[in-house]
Amino acid sequence: MKTLVEMKNVVKKFPGVTALDGISFDIRSGEVHVLLGENGAGKSTLMKILSGVHKPTSGEIIIDGKAFDHLTPHDSYKNGISVIYQELSVINELSIGENLFIGRLPMKKLGFFETVDHSEINKRAREILETVGLNRDPKTAVEELSISEKQQVEIAKALAADSKVIIMDEPTASLTNSEVESLFKIIRRLKRDGKGIVFISHKLGEIMEIGDRVTVLKDGGYVGTKNISQITQDDLVTMMVGRQISKNYQHDTFDFENEPVIFEVANLSRKDNKVRDVSFKLHKGEILGFSGLVGSGRSEMMNAIFGAEPKSAGRIFIDGEEIKTSSPYSAIKKGLAMVTENRRETGFFHNFDIAENISVLPFVKTSGAGGISGLVSKKDEAQWADEQKEKLNIKCYSTKQLVSELSGGNQQKVILGKWLAADSKIIIFDEPTKGIDVGSKSEIYSLMRRLADEGKGVLVVSSELPELLSICDTIAVFREGKIVKFFNHREATEENIIHASTAQESEEI
Amino acid sequence: MPTKTKERELTFSQAWQRYGTLGILVLLLVILAILRPSFFFKTSTITQILSQSSVNILIALGEFFAILIAGIDLSVGSVVALSGMFMAKLMVSGTSPIAAVLLGVLMGALLGFINGILVNSTGLHPFIITLGTQAIFRGVTLIISDSSAVFGFPASFSRFMAQRIFYVPVAAIIAIAVALILAFLTKQTKLGRNIYALGGNRESAWYSGINIKLHTLIVFVISGICAGIAGVVLLGRVGSAEPAAATGFETYAIAAAIIGGTSFFGGKGKIFGVVMGGLIIGVINFGMNLLSVSSTLQQVVMGALIIGSVTLDRFVAGRK
Ligand SMILES: Nc1ncnc2c1ncn2[C@@H]1O[C@H](COP(=O)(O)OP(=O)(O)OP(=O)(O)O)[C@@H](O)[C@H]1O
Ligand SMILES: [Mg+2]
Repeated sequence: MKTLVEMKNVVKKFPGVTALDGISFDIRSGEVHVLLGENGAGKSTLMKILSGVHKPTSGEIIIDGKAFDHLTPHDSYKNGISVIYQELSVINELSIGENLFIGRLPMKKLGFFETVDHSEINKRAREILETVGLNRDPKTAVEELSISEKQQVEIAKALAADSKVIIMDEPTASLTNSEVESLFKIIRRLKRDGKGIVFISHKLGEIMEIGDRVTVLKDGGYVGTKNISQITQDDLVTMMVGRQISKNYQHDTFDFENEPVIFEVANLSRKDNKVRDVSFKLHKGEILGFSGLVGSGRSEMMNAIFGAEPKSAGRIFIDGEEIKTSSPYSAIKKGLAMVTENRRETGFFHNFDIAENISVLPFVKTSGAGGISGLVSKKDEAQWADEQKEKLNIKCYSTKQLVSELSGGNQQKVILGKWLAADSKIIIFDEPTKGIDVGSKSEIYSLMRRLADEGKGVLVVSSELPELLSICDTIAVFREGKIVKFFNHREATEENIIHASTAQESEEI
Repeated sequence: MPTKTKERELTFSQAWQRYGTLGILVLLLVILAILRPSFFFKTSTITQILSQSSVNILIALGEFFAILIAGIDLSVGSVVALSGMFMAKLMVSGTSPIAAVLLGVLMGALLGFINGILVNSTGLHPFIITLGTQAIFRGVTLIISDSSAVFGFPASFSRFMAQRIFYVPVAAIIAIAVALILAFLTKQTKLGRNIYALGGNRESAWYSGINIKLHTLIVFVISGICAGIAGVVLLGRVGSAEPAAATGFETYAIAAAIIGGTSFFGGKGKIFGVVMGGLIIGVINFGMNLLSVSSTLQQVVMGALIIGSVTLDRFVAGRK
């Protein structure tokens, strides 16, 4: 196979940290080369050097026999490299077709003027969209598309630019299972066409399925490159973390049903009817998980419990005492916390450093007069931040660092830390491990178990079934705004959960 | 293995963010000192610059909060005029100056409160709301004053406002006091922290238990109070309440905040920067008067300065 791009001894230093310490990496035609490593290992940084976002401190990049000491974004584009970042860069206000050809729209003469040739755009766009399997009119505005469709537009954009190398940085982090399947179909097709694909993901199952070779990084250093057909998933974990990790976090002999109920929701409905008549109980020591398709009502219910969205009916009890949650502020005051699903939109404050982000919650929780009275204590702030940095193993050189300088997974850990710092009685985790590496995941699962053992209520929403299966004592399945089934972890399997979440109304579950 | 160092060297862009405005101010003063040394090295010059900048700094301090939550307050000039007119009317009709001043500042707070309530209840951008109230408040000023100036304040008021303590005019002392209180609010209180959070990310703020409407309301009340206090200082300096007073002052206030490093996108900025921004504008105005630059040309310079400083800031901050 032909080598398309080769990186040799690449070093990248940021003030205070060496993100890449002499990494060599190559991309061949017709293969999926997986880049694996813990949070902050340097994966995104390595790819940002290829796309021209970062300039390497030293090292060499060879494309088609030509050597560069660094690439500008224009070099990168001209040499056929496209990157699909996790934060998609399609322009919502433009149509699909315009997005594909942005920057080099085909023009036509109209008397004295040149105008954009829309019929040409649409013709060419249609062909490309077919390749990526997106069944949409090129004239559709991008804002109408789902996340996975936007991602398909990004891939189509790479094809429209005639890219030879397509880099995907955690493309599956926000996709559902079926969307991942269609992404893989596209990737296989691109392989057949001789493209080189770089695939970054923390989901090992996916990596085994789609990858050809894997390169593992650790703390900016090179660990090794292997053919995936010759290794197992456990080998990957060992290469990456240096040890094996536990698969289950339940106490086998524990019978929580005899424990007191510490949290209860009765007959909860949302004003917009996205959640209807939902009831559940949580016992001391139990971890309760919520499964279901996207939009089936899991996060929607959590938002209502947390007071972020209006309810039309329902009662909520902590330790048997009814609480009213009319806003997140009142919910927090009553002892609830909710790790929100989307860290960029509802999670962190880009203008705050790590310590300030983490201390927002404890400060609000201890304030009076509707959240406005009280003074800020720098000492408390530093202490809370250090505690969470320690507990969650956040990789940063100082808690006075801006969150935007952290790697994706470490940003997610800051969000977790922010909510854990509030020391709440009941903690809702909505997709808590998005973008977090396997080693840290296992630490977070142990942490959740510890919280439950200490008598805190732990509720988890997750689209990753293996995650729910390995940590939850009970799994509730949502379908169309209702809980349709509760599974004890001993009887729960991927198959029966998927069946319950997709079965038709009339069918027996 | 990554090599981690505890301390990292201050990059140029960070140094710029921290000391840039102070540097510009010093630079301007040096230029002025070279061009007109005879004028410059007189204590009266400093006194004059301070006293002239006070009104603008006071308004800008309030404007700062409106910009901090990614909003804006265009009504500040009208609030200065209306609360000033209200005070003047009270004083000439025999109310004691102290009571009149307190009621006037309270009027500023009330007008800010109205802005806040309108922003919260309509959900419209503060730009639109305060563009509207700018006209309304100005209209009310014209109505209650019958479109004519009010003067003849008690001597105690005029004398107090004209005082100097160690060459520092009362107006400047008031501005400094307000700035110190607000610096304390932004740095040391949860309220201040929450306002920065709200400016950084509204959604995150809401999920973190920060009451968005309450904080928005407080921000506009602060802006109103600052404008009300600026109204007091202006009355003291001019000696009369003009219905057209402080017209266009919002431009200078916004300029001071922005030159001082406040981000228009919200969540970033410092009180110290705003004071520096206000002084920079004050020095430029003073300098142009000293060099007898025509007032029309002064406008051009001021406009260019706003665009120039923000561009420079962007450029040096390295955000492409
Ligand atoms: N702009 C930046 N300024 C300073 N440090 C940075 C910057 N970008 C990345 N880093 C640091 O470089 C290191 C590598 O980060 P990178 O984003 O490449 O990690 P990653 O392997 O992609 O991790 P993740 O799996 O969490 O996404 C981290 O320690 C990070 O804090
Ligand atoms: Mg990354």
